[in-house]
Amino acid sequence: MTALQRVASARRTLGAAITIRALLWALAAAAALFATAGTIDWLIGAPRAVRALALPAAVLLALAALAYTLWRGRNVRSLAVVALWLEERVPELRYALVSALDAPHASLALEREVAAVQWSAVINRALSHALLPPLLVLAAAATLLFALPAGVRARISEPRVGDALLRAPIAAPPLRNRLSPLTGEVVPPSYTGEQHITIEEPSSVEALTGGHVMFRGQGSSDGITATVGGVAAQPSDSADQWRLDIVVPAKPAALELRDRSYARTVILAPHADSVPVVTLIAPARDTVVRTPKGALQLAADATDDYGLDAGWFEYIVSSGEGETFTFRSGVINRVREGNARTGKLSGSLDLDSLRLKPGDLVHVRAVARDRNNVTGPGIGVSETRSLRIPRASEYDSIAIEGAPPPDVDSSQLSQRMLIILAEKLQARGAKLARADVVRESRAIGSDEARLRQHVGEIVFARLGAEQGTEDAGSNGAAADITPEQLLAAANAATQAAAGATDFGGDETPVVAINRPLLEAYNAMWDASRALEVGEPGTALPPMRLALAAIQRARNAERLYLRGKAPVVIVDINKVRLAGKRDDATSSSRIPRAALDSSAERRAQRFDAALNDLAVNPSAAIDSLLALRVDALESAPTLAGALAPAIDSLRAGHDATDALVRARRIAAGVTVERIESAWSAGW
Amino acid sequence: MTTFTFATVQYDSGDWDSAPLVPPNIIDTIARYTEIEVTPTGVIVSLASPDLLRYPLVYLTGHLPVRFSDAERRQLREFLERGGMLFVDDHNHDVDGVFHKTATEELTRTIGEPKLLPNSHPLYSSFFKFPDGPPTTSHELNGWGDNLVHKNLFAVMREGRIAVLYSSKDYSSEWNFTPDSKRFLAVDPTRFGVNLIVYALTR
Repeated sequence: MTALQRVASARRTLGAAITIRALLWALAAAAALFATAGTIDWLIGAPRAVRALALPAAVLLALAALAYTLWRGRNVRSLAVVALWLEERVPELRYALVSALDAPHASLALEREVAAVQWSAVINRALSHALLPPLLVLAAAATLLFALPAGVRARISEPRVGDALLRAPIAAPPLRNRLSPLTGEVVPPSYTGEQHITIEEPSSVEALTGGHVMFRGQGSSDGITATVGGVAAQPSDSADQWRLDIVVPAKPAALELRDRSYARTVILAPHADSVPVVTLIAPARDTVVRTPKGALQLAADATDDYGLDAGWFEYIVSSGEGETFTFRSGVINRVREGNARTGKLSGSLDLDSLRLKPGDLVHVRAVARDRNNVTGPGIGVSETRSLRIPRASEYDSIAIEGAPPPDVDSSQLSQRMLIILAEKLQARGAKLARADVVRESRAIGSDEARLRQHVGEIVFARLGAEQGTEDAGSNGAAADITPEQLLAAANAATQAAAGATDFGGDETPVVAINRPLLEAYNAMWDASRALEVGEPGTALPPMRLALAAIQRARNAERLYLRGKAPVVIVDINKVRLAGKRDDATSSSRIPRAALDSSAERRAQRFDAALNDLAVNPSAAIDSLLALRVDALESAPTLAGALAPAIDSLRAGHDATDALVRARRIAAGVTVERIESAWSAGW
Repeated sequence: MTTFTFATVQYDSGDWDSAPLVPPNIIDTIARYTEIEVTPTGVIVSLASPDLLRYPLVYLTGHLPVRFSDAERRQLREFLERGGMLFVDDHNHDVDGVFHKTATEELTRTIGEPKLLPNSHPLYSSFFKFPDGPPTTSHELNGWGDNLVHKNLFAVMREGRIAVLYSSKDYSSEWNFTPDSKRFLAVDPTRFGVNLIVYALTR
């Protein structure tokens, strides 16, 4: 083996050693971090958020150790550096190794000199120096880690809600408070399909009525007592833990736990499963059915907070009058909803089959049932709609719902707007192609024709012609007479009907109103013809004539109804809500209304709890908890304000703000509002 | 502080009293939204009377042709030159109507031609904010009048202030209802009246 080959072999050995050393240091660092975190958690307990950081921190530390070790040993890649490293540790080489590597063809003398020196001992010593320290650290960390209780390792490697109970106790069982740590697992009723929720160190548990809450703590249940709302409950043992299964009551209650001198209170705040909400969509309103035939379509929507079981329609037919009534009822289209939270019901009520008679009343409603098999089932019903079959004598009194006024016909453009459009087209005409001018002009012309037809209908209807007589006016029988003759005929007819009326030599109203309209009508014909051939400039003069004529007709028929307007005297003080100020002065401050007796008692209990806070914090917290239990039903705002105060006190945080807010609510002086960024500073 | 009195102008021609409920309605509006001292009833003042000078803002409306007498023209000119403000509203809301044609002609002859008032004018922000200019009335497209939505008001300016404000929007119809009916309205249409009065009192 040549010198070069021997150095290369040494380099491979050293490189492998450095790689293994880096891996060992990485493992050792990660194990040491886990062991340290576990020891700290075992001794003083670490929050779950902190424990959750242990795994990513260990990975990061291991990668850092790996990278740092590899970086420090990066020189092993060079043969020259390895040769120098050997020369430094084996003086007998006397630079023969370096010289042999430097020369392209080493001399036999150099090879022989290098071959005479053995450096395996140096390599072995270097290997032991490289690998022994990380191995020792790794072994120590692993030993410590495995020496920790099993629960501690699980808490570090996989932190999860409720793992507080896995932390191995340090104190001896007789001295330990078995009420802390405490977890509560909320188990909703099975019909809800909801997931279990675990709460650590609960002070208040909100759960569905009828569900279960499983409280768990460390140690035996021996000596632990529990009462829920004054009723005793018995904890049981499970492995090395005690547990207490509580059925969530219908009303708020306090769970009192006692372990020798230790005590703990947990509020059970139940909420009930709501009954389904059913909305009857069809029929939309009560109605009167004159002829009870055919089918009545029924439709309804139903929603539930946890799931619907079934839905159906119910009807009741009441017949009779006076003091004799008979009733028939039935169910239509019962369907299973399959645990959906929303559902649609539909069906039809066959009126023929009901054999309804005049005077009968049919009541219809939709019904839905939820899947609550614990405290239910909850049954929700919709509004009831009534159908009445009127008697013959009632026809005159049948109520008919008023219809809204008809929409104003906005399909026709006014003559003024048509002039504006024609003027615009005329102005743009020079820049447009002839085909475009004709196209747009015809569009205006068609609107002009529609307006003309409308004017024609008004005129001819007023003058006694048949409806829609534009054609008749131009081509039909009426074409035999001129508009002037038509006017004269209408005027004569009016005069004859109304008798002798002196209009002072002026035209009669019939002529005064209709003559301008006829002029407008004729002018609009001219305008339409010009627009049809694409000559908006030619159409404009008759269009303006038509507008002027329409204005004259409108002025002629406009009536100004006059009457004596009421004298309105505005009561300024009333408008300003100022009231009478002649003999009384109002106070700018209104004394606060006295608290009712129950609110006053709550305020006193709150004050007493605050006074205890400095002397006996745990007793004060219990007092606040008891106050919250009572307030959950009677004063929910106060109960809501107490919750953060209690949580802050339990966690040892500053609860001043929460207590001040609760104090104000208890004293009845608070006004609930959302503080904006502006008002918060005041 | 002088109490504000809403004055309606009486002129010899035309129907000057065509909107008798506008004064109490505007008085109610002033009382409702401001602390301006206001007399509980409006007054009617002859355009030819020197009493015209007692009122900072006067209101003129009608449907029929307007022809001022020489005395009316002279008194109106003095009123406007001395800082008064005249609010003219076309009760026909018709730019081809007789009131519009004759009233604008008379105003042009008396004080000058009304020019378009930009919708950014301080009048539209003197109390309530009307960023789009004069509020549209429900009467502008009611089938009568010119059936146009008038985007601007017109004004004759004197020394940087509005001397004559001319409207074709028919506020006379829009505001001509008893004040007690306001409680049925989602938006009070007379709020622009507050801007008019605040502007007239502060410029």
